Amino acid sequence: MIAEHPSSRSEEEVLLAFSVEPTHDRKTLEKYLTDYPEHGQALITCSIELMVDATRNVEIVATSEKAVDRAWQRFQSAVGQPEEASVINPFATLNPTAFKSLAKKLNINNLLLIRLRDRAIDAATIPRRFVQRLSTELGATTDAVMDYLRNPPAMVSGHSFRSAVKPAVTEQISFEKAVETSQLTHDQQEALKALKD
Amino acid sequence: MPEPLKRKRKDGVLYERPPEIEDWLRRLETVDVAERLRQFTLLSRKSPGYVPSEALVYYLRRAWTEGMQGDFEKIFRVLMKRIEQSLCSAISDSRMAGARGIREEIMDRFAERIAKDCGGRIGLLDFYEIRFDKAFVAFRTSALRQIGPSVVDMVPLGADRDDGLEISAEVEAAAAGFLGGDPEKLDDPAFRLELTAAIGRLPDDQKQVIGLLLQGFQIDSKDKAVMTIARILQCDERTVRNRRDRACKTLRVILQEENAQ
Repeated sequence: MIAEHPSSRSEEEVLLAFSVEPTHDRKTLEKYLTDYPEHGQALITCSIELMVDATRNVEIVATSEKAVDRAWQRFQSAVGQPEEASVINPFATLNPTAFKSLAKKLNINNLLLIRLRDRAIDAATIPRRFVQRLSTELGATTDAVMDYLRNPPAMVSGHSFRSAVKPAVTEQISFEKAVETSQLTHDQQEALKALKD
Repeated sequence: MPEPLKRKRKDGVLYERPPEIEDWLRRLETVDVAERLRQFTLLSRKSPGYVPSEALVYYLRRAWTEGMQGDFEKIFRVLMKRIEQSLCSAISDSRMAGARGIREEIMDRFAERIAKDCGGRIGLLDFYEIRFDKAFVAFRTSALRQIGPSVVDMVPLGADRDDGLEISAEVEAAAAGFLGGDPEKLDDPAFRLELTAAIGRLPDDQKQVIGLLLQGFQIDSKDKAVMTIARILQCDERTVRNRRDRACKTLRVILQEENAQ
């Protein structure tokens, strides 16, 4: 029953979403197992840990500051590094011709592909089958592409900054909205909507 | 008015903090900063004025956004101290080999998540402003799947991991005795509580079966549309029954030991 279908959400994200559900009964677990079969084992473990954890009494134990100091140091070294450094841009190696060719292979237009590249689309709303196809065409793993897409939107380059308004990153839109507003043909829009999870 | 969360559900609707957390945030807004920070340092949930961790996450993020580095570090340290306490209970030295190292690694990983959130990763910490304890169970579960030991220390009886389809009469009898031949015993809240606390000490395969039983899943069904334990775990229903019976035998020993203490 737990088949392999890579989703666009990481295990951690799926477990976090599950954990904040108002109830953790059979129905909730069934829904998540159906929606995220690839994280089935993790969801089962998490559902049991949530049950067991509710019975634990956290008693205050004496601890030194060592572990907290260590975590603070880890924070300081991690916050100094822009996240971009650890995430590879899978679009970086594409020249304009390859970029157009990729859009064609995905049966989308350049505008939608630019929005994807610039992370103007909320990653959680991108259908997993689309991410799979994009990853295959980019020659990257689904995880690597998702890691890239989950980052904050890029500052749009090429615009004039001689403006009274401070340049800022645009707010992300949903995949559905992007499909509707990217000047795609009716058939292209329908094909993309059919990929919805 | 606290700033709304940014994270969206799968259906595109924004997540919201529970009303009691919003109430806490509104109340804390009326307190001056120094007093607020003092309240944050209360570690015991039983202390009057204990501030829920969801609110700590909110003020941690706000301190970062407003460039209040001193406040940020103070809240960071309090939050980490709470996390350490929770980890000491969930991953105790007596239950897992290398527990201390694992606890430290989980804390480090959480510190990295905070750093990512500070770096602009959208809504990464939002879940922790909704139900901190539960979200942290999820985070811990995911981290343990990557870095934890494959087998948690358990009582000796649990060492029997044979999934063979034959099961000894002794184990079968122990299992029958455990539930007293009464499957409805699982509906008794007091028994469920005692049992739930004990299943944390079972080997993973047995824990899964008992955990799913407690959540109301049935072992098997002729109806293909029903999500059963056998289908979820992708194994034969007899294997599921064997794991259940072994788990019952183990649980009987655990509960007897605990009741004797």
